[in-house]
Amino acid sequence: MSFTKKPGGKALDILQNLPRITLANLRPEPGTKKAEKKRGRGQHGGNRSGRGHKGERQRGNRPRLGFEGGQTPFYLAIPKYGYNEGHSRRAQYQPLTLNRLQYLIDLGRIDPTQPIDLTQLVNGRGVTIQPQKRDYGVQLVGEGAGIFAAKVNIEVQMASEEAIAAIERNGGIVTTGFYDPRSLAVLCKPVPFFLSGQPIPKRMLPGEDMVPYYTDAANRGYLADPEKIQKARIALAQKYGYVLPDISKDELFHMLFMRKDPRQIFFGLSPGWVVNMTEKKILKPTDDKLLQYYNS
Amino acid sequence: MSYQEHARILFSLSLSLQKQTLCIPAGEAKSGILASTEEYKFVEQLISPSRVPFPPKHDGPSPFGWNPPSASASNTLLHLNSQDKVEGNIWASEKDVKEYLQQLTGKHLPTQVNEVTMTFRVKGHFDTALKEWLVKKGF
Repeated sequence: MSFTKKPGGKALDILQNLPRITLANLRPEPGTKKAEKKRGRGQHGGNRSGRGHKGERQRGNRPRLGFEGGQTPFYLAIPKYGYNEGHSRRAQYQPLTLNRLQYLIDLGRIDPTQPIDLTQLVNGRGVTIQPQKRDYGVQLVGEGAGIFAAKVNIEVQMASEEAIAAIERNGGIVTTGFYDPRSLAVLCKPVPFFLSGQPIPKRMLPGEDMVPYYTDAANRGYLADPEKIQKARIALAQKYGYVLPDISKDELFHMLFMRKDPRQIFFGLSPGWVVNMTEKKILKPTDDKLLQYYNS
Repeated sequence: MSYQEHARILFSLSLSLQKQTLCIPAGEAKSGILASTEEYKFVEQLISPSRVPFPPKHDGPSPFGWNPPSASASNTLLHLNSQDKVEGNIWASEKDVKEYLQQLTGKHLPTQVNEVTMTFRVKGHFDTALKEWLVKKGF
């Protein structure tokens, strides 16, 4: 309780005159430490020592956890069902809310004048992706769609319909693209990869189960037909009730339309190239077979 | 130009990048490697910044609702009904908070100051009210 009139107070004066603080001079605030009950000692801890009267309870011979006296226990009566079967092998997508994206742009951690992809999000410390833990990327989630007000060209791995609508309403572009685990690790941490001296791998195409997702224009998949995507943009605008801005008249339209090739991991860098960071050079193969492999 | 024409042009641009090879042959280079420094700027864009960037200037609150702090702010953080990490005169800021809350609620509220950890606590839930008050003061 504050009752001293002088600021800085008597505490400072007292401190200046006291000897050095050591463990021997300190004691906890009265009321913070409650003494524990010692079993087998005194009126309250002694006698039966909190074990009850006779039987299995006092003698410490109770049956195993879950035993119901002979009745088929709950954990055996309920039939098995594979709710969690293979849960550790399922793909996970780290959610990214529009709230968070707006926050990152407002604080200058992400540059909306450049295309935003997973590398930029990780560099701006916006999301944390663990490719080794079955993370397959980031998913755009619609929370914060009401306050979102940034024009961006963003590439994610999955996106909800509200999120797509919110971004397109502001004149931006969303694309969903697939990265296989090795490409994802390279995308999230490019610098250690370049330092390892390996050629940039080509990004693999999605597996059978994800091909329908990435070829669907409604999800703005990177393998979908651009004409269908344009129709889907108009349809979504009608569904959510906003006017679709014309991006081709925008000053940043060239940046907004930048998209990666399905086999490309980084903007501007092709698969097969080796990056030399110490000499700031890029080494490219010229062998026919290699070129054929990397360009296929 | 329509959206789909744009997309097709940029697809072909990215593909053609692979065929574009600026050759600066390095002395005794092994046959089969071309060195180039043209595309290194794309690598530089991928390098993560090591320092926290300065936020861009906003007029008033940003779309997220973040208010840029004024130049003369001392670091204070608000958590529930306790004021943490108060630099400078803790008794003065405690007095200000008490006066403000007295105007707000009309009651004399008990407070506890901890000079050792530089925090003080106020009894009651004044989360949003105190946050707005601090923003007005320029923190």
